[in-house]
Amino acid sequence: MLAYLARRLLYSVPVVLIASFLLFWAVRIAFDPLARLRGGRDAGALARAAERLGLDQSIPVQYWHWLTRFVTGDWGVSSRTAGPVHGLILPALGTTLQLIVWGVLVAAVIALAVGVYSAVRQYSAGDLAFTGLSYLGVAMPPFWLGLILIQILAAWPQELLGLTDPPLYFVGLHSPDGGGPLDYARHLVLPVLTLTVGLVASWSRFTRATMLDALTSEYVRTARAKGVPKRRIVTRHALRTALGPFVSVTAVDAGLLFGGLVVTEQIFAIQGMGRLFLDSLLAGDVFVLVPWTLVIAVVVIVFNLLADLAYAVLDPRVRLR
Amino acid sequence: MSTRFRLGAVGLTALALLAASCTSGGTGTALKSDARPATGAPVRQGGSIVIGAEQEPDCTDWIASCATSIWGTFIMDIPTIPRVFEPRKVDGTWGLAATNVMASEPEVAAGPPQKVTYRINPAAVWSDGEPITSADFAYTALAIRDGKDVLNRTGYSHIAKIETPDPKTAVVTFDAPYASWKGLFSDSSGLLPSHLLKGKDRSALMKDGYTWSGGPWKIESWTKGVSAVLVPNPNYWGDKPKLDKVTFQFTADTAAAFQAFKTGQLDALYPTPQLDSIDQIKSGLSNASSLVDPESGNLEAIWFNNAKAPFDAVPFRKAVSHAIDRKAVVTRLYGALGVTEPAQSAHTPLVGRYGGTDFAQYTPDLAKVDSLMRGDGWAKGSDGIWAKAGNRAAFSVSTMTGNKRRELTEQILQEQLRAAGFEVKIDNTSATDLFASKLPKGDFQMGLWTLVDTFPQPSLEASFSSGAVPSEGNGYSGLNMSRVNLPGLDRVLGAAASSLDEAKRVEISRQADKLLADSAALLPLDVIPNILLWNNKIGGPLAVDPARGPFWNLAQWGLAS
Repeated sequence: MLAYLARRLLYSVPVVLIASFLLFWAVRIAFDPLARLRGGRDAGALARAAERLGLDQSIPVQYWHWLTRFVTGDWGVSSRTAGPVHGLILPALGTTLQLIVWGVLVAAVIALAVGVYSAVRQYSAGDLAFTGLSYLGVAMPPFWLGLILIQILAAWPQELLGLTDPPLYFVGLHSPDGGGPLDYARHLVLPVLTLTVGLVASWSRFTRATMLDALTSEYVRTARAKGVPKRRIVTRHALRTALGPFVSVTAVDAGLLFGGLVVTEQIFAIQGMGRLFLDSLLAGDVFVLVPWTLVIAVVVIVFNLLADLAYAVLDPRVRLR
Repeated sequence: MSTRFRLGAVGLTALALLAASCTSGGTGTALKSDARPATGAPVRQGGSIVIGAEQEPDCTDWIASCATSIWGTFIMDIPTIPRVFEPRKVDGTWGLAATNVMASEPEVAAGPPQKVTYRINPAAVWSDGEPITSADFAYTALAIRDGKDVLNRTGYSHIAKIETPDPKTAVVTFDAPYASWKGLFSDSSGLLPSHLLKGKDRSALMKDGYTWSGGPWKIESWTKGVSAVLVPNPNYWGDKPKLDKVTFQFTADTAAAFQAFKTGQLDALYPTPQLDSIDQIKSGLSNASSLVDPESGNLEAIWFNNAKAPFDAVPFRKAVSHAIDRKAVVTRLYGALGVTEPAQSAHTPLVGRYGGTDFAQYTPDLAKVDSLMRGDGWAKGSDGIWAKAGNRAAFSVSTMTGNKRRELTEQILQEQLRAAGFEVKIDNTSATDLFASKLPKGDFQMGLWTLVDTFPQPSLEASFSSGAVPSEGNGYSGLNMSRVNLPGLDRVLGAAASSLDEAKRVEISRQADKLLADSAALLPLDVIPNILLWNNKIGGPLAVDPARGPFWNLAQWGLAS
């Protein structure tokens, strides 16, 4: 197991290095970190900033300087904010983590329930309804869904009930004056719901498919022939088998979500990893973007490893070598 | 007097408009203003409000290159940093008056060398009770003139020396006549506290927010990505704020910000007047008030590349200018807000007193188009497009991708110009490519972008002198993207930049405006209006100052009593 983990991590190093250089190069080519200074009246400001940021050197040299500092623990300084990069990334990571934990938990529970129901009641009215809804869920883009949810669950109830405040908030994760757990929950519901709809839609389809595979497998048929009750067959035999691939997909998706919530975080004014990426990209802030990518890469690798481990734990037939 | 090009969604956002009820605390010179307050609802002491901010500042070290966000200036710089001069609207035009930091109007001696003497109000103190002194003037001037990471040294690079004969007097000596001296300690940066910053790492102490203040407000907190909170500065020597707390919540998504405003999560908004914002306002906002003012510091113009065919010929530029119905464009863009008149000067309304109305000569007139084009050797082809020596009157118009307002403008221009015999191709690109590459390298024919003034001092020389043409020699850093190079213009602009006689400066600036208009070097289109929205919870004299933004008089805002 340990050898397997070490080998997986080792394989990741060149991938991460190549990816980080390509990103560094692409951002340097495509975005101008001095763009915001170009409109100023002080012509010397451009030259001063270019020298300070090392932009007068070649891209490989800039990358090498950055990399040698990074491996010694110096994440560098943002060209956009002049602040330390870790001071931007770590809080954003924590914020996004909150969304993902709640979103994945809620989505996993619902997706499992819907997927199992659809598999057990294949082609029933309920199954067909969930199938239709899941296609709808997959098709709804977050920027549209988020605004629709705001209207339906916050604006309209406030208007109809004549409330002073909307029942659910949608700016940030806390009220300006802080607030307790209830305030936090009222801020969390809409972004988590926006995130959850797409996840439930795809994960429930996946669960349905794996459950159908399991329910038609020989060991389930044997169990049925032996007179094992249906509920027990579903929960103890089929679901346990289906859980392996489900956890695997969930873990991989969760890892990818760390960098994939740009739209949701933008709509709900949440300063997470997605919004940090967008702000940094638009400012051509390669000193944030590359560490950001590395952090996301590490998160994805870790979640992939967790998926493999979970698979091995849930399915005794699997051995990691 | 900084003039900057607008970078759309990425960056320099809308400035503001109009007028201010005018109070001047302390012993500073107070000018009576004719500016009108947007609302006079009486307010009570105390309470808090939340304002939506569509852009978050990158840092709060206001003299550093990271401080380019105009929202930073609006929400934390202006409320906390003392300045020597502030914009005032007097007799319908914007001018400058000394603030309550000064004991009297600074005295300027023409010299040579030119000297300015600043006398400081004895009552002026920082939030820790330390007096504002001449040492603060010296520290600020030298930090900007000699510092490494400095955003804008304009004016400060002309400072030969700064003397501090006593704690309440500072004397600045210039190395050359500098007409815009009022921009020092006032325009892009105010005064910094020497006793807290001298000999220390200013950037480290300021960039993430600071607790000291020389204005009516203090920064209580700045949570990155979430909000900035202002509370009253108890030691402020002028009129103290009515509110106990003001929170600026960062809300980048326009649609979500409007929803938050409608549901009361945000009490006020200052949206960029893009089409989606205007649609939101048109659709109605209950229990809310709005202020729309077309007198901002943002001038949207049609920019011709004066050095590139076909716009290198004056008759061609004039013909195109007569083919465009600017009033129709403005009405389509801002008619719903009641704004329908095109701009008639290369100066924004913020510096309107220095400009004329010479561009009013360009009204839609197809007969004039015919006469100008035929006079220049053009003839209409069978396809209805002008042609000369085998070249069709076909050209491109460029702006930044994703700016819906400008994209709509381009489509209207395309139709209007097609009717006059010009073929226009839309050739848009990203903001970065446009402003960092295409425009500096002259790789465009006609463009749409905005000229921004942030201080009521004329600055045409920055945008139209031949020395400001971007080139390899100056690292493509000049602002004269349209390569204007008119006979006599440099001399006029130079005189305007160095004349200390205000009346003469106005006269010279108007000459420059006329030269630009008579050669159709550009075609001003509209002044982008400023919009301020607030719910009925808020009272006080709300108004937008085109230089200092909508929150310049936040101290007078309050909860409606």
